Amino acid sequence: MTQDALQIIAYCCEHCAYAAADLAGGLRIQYPPSVRVVMLPCTGKMDVLLALKAFEDGADGIMTAG
Amino acid sequence: MIVAEQKSLEEIKKLVGNAKKVLVAGCGTCVTVCFAGGSREAAIVSAELRMSTKLAGDPKEVADVTVQRQCEWEYLDEIAEQVQGVDVVLSLGCGVGVQAIAEHFPNVWVVPGLNTKFMGLPTEQGVWAERCAACGDCILGLTGGICPIARCSKSLLNGPCGGSLDGHCEINAEVPCGWQLIYDRLKSMGKLEVLMEIQAPKNWRTSRDGGPRKIVREDLRLVSEEK
Repeated sequence: MTQDALQIIAYCCEHCAYAAADLAGGLRIQYPPSVRVVMLPCTGKMDVLLALKAFEDGADGIMTAG
Repeated sequence: MIVAEQKSLEEIKKLVGNAKKVLVAGCGTCVTVCFAGGSREAAIVSAELRMSTKLAGDPKEVADVTVQRQCEWEYLDEIAEQVQGVDVVLSLGCGVGVQAIAEHFPNVWVVPGLNTKFMGLPTEQGVWAERCAACGDCILGLTGGICPIARCSKSLLNGPCGGSLDGHCEINAEVPCGWQLIYDRLKSMGKLEVLMEIQAPKNWRTSRDGGPRKIVREDLRLVSEEK
């Protein structure tokens, strides 16, 4: 599987990592299309159930940023 | 509270066997607060079962539901429809919960997802310790509120034994000597004289030695026309 074919779910904090991703978009900075960003109100909201849900729905990996 | 631990996924899969439709039933009381079988754990076990059986080429339909208390039949009525529609119910309740489901739904196959361990309390986050052995004849009034039945490895009534060393039990240096705890507490309370009374052998018929136990409160029972 190529890197682009992977599906990585990135759970990002609304206040920092998500805003950073937004800014990266505004600056036209590229990141791999395999990364799908999901906004969390806070990474404290991150839970094993969210990770399991992502894997169950076919994700190859997850990352949390905050 | 009743303290339990989850069985391994491997054992759970064996218990579920060839069933195609599985209902994971959590309990919202004791096993929720000891993080073994509440709604969150039920959802996690469901996801694990769905994914692992799918990967093994034998996908199962797994749903989860949690009732407030599995150990009372009235609470089980709300999941009656769901349990009737599956091949097996994986109960994440304590042993009482599993049996309550089996008794309330005679035609439903139910298996345990937990190992029920003891009656105890959390001593720090993530640590639970046994405190009561349900002996049926409480003697905490004689021992400063520390139970020698549950906390002395030999359940001695006139301890400590010769295996008590530096406040620890001979079975394991990490286990506090129950009788040392009792002595220390009575000393700090200025009540060491309590220990001067020698306790006679305990009547264990009030415990498990007397067979399955039951309490009947005639003042609370419904007369036949009220049932």
